[in-house]
Amino acid sequence: MQEGILLLVAVFAPLAGAFLLPLLGRLSTRFRDLVALALVVASLGCSLALVPGALNGEVVRFSVSGPLGLSLGFAADALALFMAIVSSLVGAIIMLFSFDYISHYENQNEYYLMAVVFLGAMMGLVFSTNLVFLFVFWEITGIASWRLIGFYRSKTDVLKADKAFLITALGALIMLVGILAVYGQTGTFDLDAMKGVALPFWVSMLLLVGMLSKSATLPFQTWLPDAGVAPSPVTALLHAAVLVKIGVYVFARLFLATFAFDEALRTIVASIAGSSALVSAGAALVDTDFKRIVAYSTVSQIGFIFLGLAMGTPLGVAGALLYILMHGLAKAGLFLCAGIVEQNTGTKDITKLGGLIRTMPWTAGAFLLCVFSVMGIPPLGGFFSKYMVVSAAVSSGEIAMSVVFLAGALLTILYLFRLFSKVFLGEPQGAVAVEKSRLMVACVVLLAALSLAGGLLVSWPSLLAKAAILQMLGVVQ
Amino acid sequence: MSPYLLVLAIVIPAVAGLVALVLPTHRARWAAGALAVVATGCELGLAIYLFPHDLFFSQPWLVFGTGFTVDLAFKLSRFSAFILLAIAGFGFLVSVFSSVSMAGAPSSRRFHAWVLFTVAMAAGAVLADNLLLLLFFWEGLLLTLFGMIVAGKTRPFATAIKAFVIVGITDLCMMLGVMLTGHLAGTLSMSSIHLPLDGLGSVAFLLLLIGAMGKAGAMPFHSWIPDAAVDAPLPFMALLPASMEKLLGIYFLARISLDLFVLTPEAWVSPILMSLGAATILFAVMMALVQKDYKRLLAYHAISQVGYMILGIGTALPIGIVGGLFHMVNNAIYKSSLFLSGGAVERQTGTTDLGKLGGLARSMPVTAICFVVAAASISGVPPFNGFFSKELVYDSALERGWIFYAVALLGSFFTAASFLKLGHSAFFGKPADASRKVKEAPWPMLVPMIVLAVLCLVFGVANSLPLGRLIEPAVGATVTRGETFAGFPSSMLLVGLTVGVLILACLNHAFGVRRTGKGLGAVDHIHYAPGLSSVYALQETGVLDPYRILTSVVRLAAAVLYRIDRVIDWLYSTVATQSAFAITWLLRKAHNGNVSRYLAWSILGAIGVVLAVLAIFGGVR
Repeated sequence: MQEGILLLVAVFAPLAGAFLLPLLGRLSTRFRDLVALALVVASLGCSLALVPGALNGEVVRFSVSGPLGLSLGFAADALALFMAIVSSLVGAIIMLFSFDYISHYENQNEYYLMAVVFLGAMMGLVFSTNLVFLFVFWEITGIASWRLIGFYRSKTDVLKADKAFLITALGALIMLVGILAVYGQTGTFDLDAMKGVALPFWVSMLLLVGMLSKSATLPFQTWLPDAGVAPSPVTALLHAAVLVKIGVYVFARLFLATFAFDEALRTIVASIAGSSALVSAGAALVDTDFKRIVAYSTVSQIGFIFLGLAMGTPLGVAGALLYILMHGLAKAGLFLCAGIVEQNTGTKDITKLGGLIRTMPWTAGAFLLCVFSVMGIPPLGGFFSKYMVVSAAVSSGEIAMSVVFLAGALLTILYLFRLFSKVFLGEPQGAVAVEKSRLMVACVVLLAALSLAGGLLVSWPSLLAKAAILQMLGVVQ
Repeated sequence: MSPYLLVLAIVIPAVAGLVALVLPTHRARWAAGALAVVATGCELGLAIYLFPHDLFFSQPWLVFGTGFTVDLAFKLSRFSAFILLAIAGFGFLVSVFSSVSMAGAPSSRRFHAWVLFTVAMAAGAVLADNLLLLLFFWEGLLLTLFGMIVAGKTRPFATAIKAFVIVGITDLCMMLGVMLTGHLAGTLSMSSIHLPLDGLGSVAFLLLLIGAMGKAGAMPFHSWIPDAAVDAPLPFMALLPASMEKLLGIYFLARISLDLFVLTPEAWVSPILMSLGAATILFAVMMALVQKDYKRLLAYHAISQVGYMILGIGTALPIGIVGGLFHMVNNAIYKSSLFLSGGAVERQTGTTDLGKLGGLARSMPVTAICFVVAAASISGVPPFNGFFSKELVYDSALERGWIFYAVALLGSFFTAASFLKLGHSAFFGKPADASRKVKEAPWPMLVPMIVLAVLCLVFGVANSLPLGRLIEPAVGATVTRGETFAGFPSSMLLVGLTVGVLILACLNHAFGVRRTGKGLGAVDHIHYAPGLSSVYALQETGVLDPYRILTSVVRLAAAVLYRIDRVIDWLYSTVATQSAFAITWLLRKAHNGNVSRYLAWSILGAIGVVLAVLAIFGGVR
């Protein structure tokens, strides 16, 4: 039962605690900031405390039965814990970064409320065992991100926020039809009760549309670069670490951990992922807005995660899980570096930037390390995840697909170097920018260090990933 | 003996590298250099100590249920012991050299750290007995490559990025090759992979081959080396492109040809390898011939010499394989010596522009003697080491086809010609402005050069030492079939032809010098020969640089992909919103508050309902 309480704290500390933040903000802004961070750290701590059990294959559950199949249920299996830890870890670092970044804007109370609600909903989503509640949490993240993207409140900001909300909500509605169809077939919303059920192809497709729209994959990708108008910690939170990983996570939860794996999905999802990886990598080579480039890069990298999951083999799924971790860390680092650069120079246009390595050496160094991790260069963490997902494709006989993804990896190297050169190298342009906030720089250095540790100590997260695939795929050691 | 010693061979330089990064260099400028010398010295001692042993270390690392298990496996075989020794040796000599040449440079701390990391990564790559582990260290060298180039005086990021991208592409190909090999063999453990060169096997082999060639700097993955020669710190050139990358690339090439796959002369990849080797020899040496910069000239030779090794191994004949590997060792020795001599010249005179140098033999006699020995070795003058390894390669090339032999011999002619030009214009002839009042380089820079020059002679005269102790045991009795290739070449005809070509090169030099009146102009009659001059001019503009071609192709592809993205975005931003407006406009028009309009809609609707009911139920009946 004690573990059950940990589970509840992990979900409801941020979800309920968030509503205290606007009140606290009226007392003391510093105190509010610290409480916001503490709520996220509480989630992280509770999730971490559940890891030893999960490694032994135990699943902690908590449920309250309700009418009409609407029982509220949470379960902390290895897959959910992996996702929860990645989200809350990156989320906590981003909250810390926000202390200095947000401190001179209006609507701070709303910012902290929405960001913490967002993370709480994410926790609820990953631990949910009920499709309806999963959907509810899914939509809460959508609403929170809608407010967060439009944080600056100008007309274009609001338009972009609407676009993000409308596209993901459209996907979610289509998915809702799929959920109802699942209910029609199984008579339950409980994920545990529908284990091993084979879905009709069209229902899988309906569910897939929702996941693709949330994870900003072709043909639903364009809201993601547009949402780069948000404050940088928001883009890091939504676009790198958490929001875009929702679709991927639910894919793993439904298609791999719950329903019988449909072989027809493999080719379809892999092809969508492959074109998404290539198209957005190409776009990242052309665009000139710092954050849009990094956002396109996210779209491209999500393709790699989908590839690993679509293969459905232990290697592919383990690789995809590690990818979620490594990409979350490194990409959050890139977005936060973009935030530092943007705040100190006043522009996101890379044609107006240059030579910042001289005045912002720490940011440049951290940026470069994160870049190497996204490229997949050892000893950084991205190497292992990239190897594993593409190798899974090769082992499944999808050799042409693996070539497409390696072309994507080449483009990744090229567009990230282009970005690095334009921003940090060459001649300085405009005013001399310096690293004003030590806290912000410390956050990106921490993310870079974690990316490095993720590669050197790759066997640690691998333990949890292995426990997850044991549970999901029933693989025997 | 504890197998943990193998891990120590990686840990020592890695930890030393970390320490070097945090040393307080503003107080002790020599500290990082001294640490590098001590650490690489320990590494060399360890490599010597381990040399006679066979060790195996294995520990589970990444385990994901059935089908994918990666062990942290290191293996010391005859082959890896030999390469490890060479890596440690070159690491040590270059550290000694750069402890002086880099002292006082603002980037010296970083540079020494990168040298140590490079040694650690290279040791890991050689010892690894698992393909993924090998790839980890192999690709990790990308980072050290990048870091070392960036430690140059001008922070040459553009060159570093170029090097990174080119080598990165070959590493991606190699990654795919590793995946395919693992898929075909069902394991990543190198000791237990023996695949036939059939359909998919050949593809895997070619992909791994690209990785090996990219590391070794063979064409067409070469174009960053001349750029790096100019921008990067000079010890970098002696360490990576001249010695360590060749050692690693050719080591891996030999492993895949002899061990993971079995390359036979009948396999269709064998002629491909030989052609790549021959093309690399010829084109790179043609470029070297016309260079007017000490370091750039050497850089093109660093590319050209790989051709001999690939040609030798590509023949798949015992004599060629042994010759190729022997050439790898010899090349590493004389090429580092040459680069170090270039470094000494640059430090003492402040330039490497051959037009501003001249007559250095008088002021820098030791450097000059080392240069002459190394240049004679690379040109294949008996009795230096390069002569013996080239003869072995020639012998095998002739057996597989006269054209390969002819190209290799032509390469030798140009090699000799370009070194005559280089030596004449830098060390002999009239002293130029930059060469006056020059002193000899300090002894920590000279000692590595002298050691390497002596090795050039020893490995030539006493070639049974490297061949019998290092190379033949490395490839094993199954390849050599118990034969030995030491001693003087057996075919006097080939030796005669080699000497004839060297004499021709000297005559050519004399002709060129008489024609232009200076050493630097010795090959102008080839440079500006009709036909050739336009090719050279084209090359000067960089149009033929594969990197340039790649970036323009990628730019075009990216533009197309970006259009696709924009079209999809247009569907949402314009088509979706405009159609929403259009529909609401229609609905608004329909609801204008006019009672007669509403009545008309109602009647139309009622008719529609009746028709629908009739259509459905009428159809049933």
